[in-house]
Amino acid sequence: MFIATGPSNRKFQTIAFAAALATTLAAVLAGPAVADSAKDVLTIGKAADPQTLDPDITVDNNDWTVTYYAYQRLVHYKTINGKGSTEVEPELADSWSVSADGLTWDFKLKAGNKFDDGSSLDAAAVKYSFDRLFKLKQGPSEALPENTTVTVIGPMEVRFQLPSPYAPFLYALANNGCGIVNPKVEEKAKDGDMAKAWLAANTAGSGPYKLVSWDKGQSLVLEPNANYAGEKPAFSKVRVKIVGEAAARRLQLENGDLDIAEDLPVDQVEAIKKKPGIRVEEYPSLLVTYLYLNNSKPPLDKPEVRRAISWAIDYQGIVDGIFDGQAKQMRGPIPDGMWGQDPNVMQYTQDLAKAKAELAKSGVTAPKLSFLYSERDPNWEPIGLAVQANLAALGIEVKLEKLANAAYRERLGKGDFEIGVGKWSPDFADPYMFMNYWFDSNRKGLSGDRAFYVNPKVDELVRKAASATDQAERVKLYKEAQAIVVDEAPYVYLVQKNSQIALRDSVAGFVFNPMLEQIYNIGAMSKTK
Amino acid sequence: MSAAGPIVAAPVAISDWGFLFYRIRKSPLTVLGILMILTVLVFVAFAPWLATHDPNAISLRARLAPPSGAHWFGTDEVGRDLYSRVVFGGRLSVGVGFFVVVIAGGVGAVVGCLSGILGGRVDTVLMRIMDVVLSVPSLVVTMALAAALGPSLFNAMLAMAIVRIPFYVRLARGQALVIREMPYVKGAYIFGASNWQVLRWHVARNAMPPLIVQATLDLGGAILMASALSFIGLGAQQPTAEWGAMVSTGRNFILDQWWYSAFPGFAILFTATGFNLLGDGVRDLLDPRQKGR
Repeated sequence: MFIATGPSNRKFQTIAFAAALATTLAAVLAGPAVADSAKDVLTIGKAADPQTLDPDITVDNNDWTVTYYAYQRLVHYKTINGKGSTEVEPELADSWSVSADGLTWDFKLKAGNKFDDGSSLDAAAVKYSFDRLFKLKQGPSEALPENTTVTVIGPMEVRFQLPSPYAPFLYALANNGCGIVNPKVEEKAKDGDMAKAWLAANTAGSGPYKLVSWDKGQSLVLEPNANYAGEKPAFSKVRVKIVGEAAARRLQLENGDLDIAEDLPVDQVEAIKKKPGIRVEEYPSLLVTYLYLNNSKPPLDKPEVRRAISWAIDYQGIVDGIFDGQAKQMRGPIPDGMWGQDPNVMQYTQDLAKAKAELAKSGVTAPKLSFLYSERDPNWEPIGLAVQANLAALGIEVKLEKLANAAYRERLGKGDFEIGVGKWSPDFADPYMFMNYWFDSNRKGLSGDRAFYVNPKVDELVRKAASATDQAERVKLYKEAQAIVVDEAPYVYLVQKNSQIALRDSVAGFVFNPMLEQIYNIGAMSKTK
Repeated sequence: MSAAGPIVAAPVAISDWGFLFYRIRKSPLTVLGILMILTVLVFVAFAPWLATHDPNAISLRARLAPPSGAHWFGTDEVGRDLYSRVVFGGRLSVGVGFFVVVIAGGVGAVVGCLSGILGGRVDTVLMRIMDVVLSVPSLVVTMALAAALGPSLFNAMLAMAIVRIPFYVRLARGQALVIREMPYVKGAYIFGASNWQVLRWHVARNAMPPLIVQATLDLGGAILMASALSFIGLGAQQPTAEWGAMVSTGRNFILDQWWYSAFPGFAILFTATGFNLLGDGVRDLLDPRQKGR
């Protein structure tokens, strides 16, 4: 064996170290050398690990990538001419009827649907799922009115009894939270938790795929559900890979290690468009980025301070710089393209004089605020830096705090923050998704009212709008509410951005739906090579 | 270096300036190290005058601009001038290096000398504690400490200083043990000198040279470690300009905007190399036995 001595040994060590470092770097950037690019395997690259896979608990699109096609719903969004629409069509349901007062909905189920363990999906399973949803009473339950009851009226027939008319009812049934869960999960329940612990890391649905493994922080693997009643899916395996760094996701997509890369910063998308073998699909979307100002924490409990912040932000700079012009400033809480948006509602612009005047009115001097964000979205840090610089001009000192996504969401939910940043996309095409979720004080926390905003007048307006059946009446009520929530500025309404999805050219059959951000129709997709 | 004996010859060499310069000149790498460090120190001292922009001033529309006459090192993702950030980042990085070494060296020297002089149970207990700290890889301990204290540059510095203390303790104790047995120290004791007086007059002074060598060598390491901690998010937080943190953020842009990571990375390389060359040189100067190796 060759043993070097003295200086040459040291030099050798240095070279060995450098070599090791270079290899590690290359490995980190490029991922495993063996590309898993078989035709029947789809690999999706994600920025952050899912939090929970329990459909009755998760309100995060990041989790829905995995859960949406592991479960089925009574209805689903229609695909018209290869494009996702906001209309629904039957999935598990065969047909339905509704009473004249809009309160009683009867659904007949299709025969032959089976859960992944082979047990059949019947009315009892539907009732179990909705009972579980309402008993757990987490975020997803709020897509439906409180005190909705579900009864079995035949082996394959269920009745929904609503307490008050609810306009978006049918559309809400297509959202991830209304997935039908196998009642057999009760066997996995511990201490009466309705199998909450088990379902957080497993799936028990009737969709085309089921989860087979989850290596936390690394990857999740889905395989076809052998008992799925629909057409056999094309992939024998769908892998969701967690790749924290945007540059690494991009490289892996270029190498063919990924078929779809999520959350690439705008500049990377621009560069990637020119690469062979990759295409970038762009869709107008209703995905918005906004800031939560925690209304329950002084000094943000004062509307003047919140207004001052809203007047101080350089919206156009964020649009032009951070989003490279691929976005536009929001006007009020409802994005452009969603009905019910008031095109004439006041819009904040950067106006330091107004901001200073509001801050002076509030009587608060030199406040210090924290700005929480996570690695989930590469735009959040630059937004934080912009906010920090913009508010410094007002004498507001902002401290940036970067957390892991799980810790970030936990603190958001508890209200343990001052300014937070987030994205929101609707699950059904109704302004309810914005107005009722963001401003109804019953939804404080992660489920929607992330600013912990309380205004009885707004509560009344949005609740009335939700139960009104006449669309013109609803538009009017939402318009009134929009004026108030723009004036009181519980959130900073930043930007609305087109969805950009980067895929390998070989991926076919992908249908984008703005209601289903980060959800890929894996049951119907395929690869050409 | 082994603590086989006190390096009492060293101070003699230092006092002889002409000889010192002669020896430095004979070692071109040391000269290079000194020049590199001087360059860094000039930038550190005159950062506000040498920087062309406010390091934290953002300019969203000038984002990710390549190096040019206006922005020598280009700009980052919110349009901050990278050259100015590298210049100001040096203050932080070098400051951290000095802080860590001074704290670790200071505490380590005092504890080590005491341990060596007092001996007995105090010595045993102190040394076992140091053994425990030493037995765990220092980067792991630093990371654990920094994470537990909360991510901030100050906590990272504290963590780095704490894990470095044992190295100085052992060194100082080794010196103290030998010096304690020297005839002139024995003589001092016979004439009634207290432990404290012996520590001050004899041990502290004679134990210094190896500690200085260790400290010089450590400076580069401490700067590197601070950068490493910032790189993994446990050190400096945004918007503070810090080299490691800049390399870390720049990673996201490395494919199209090479300048983002490259310049701060080069600054780390330059400074750490400079201190290492200087450290090697100082060791050679202060330790005659190392001559010719």
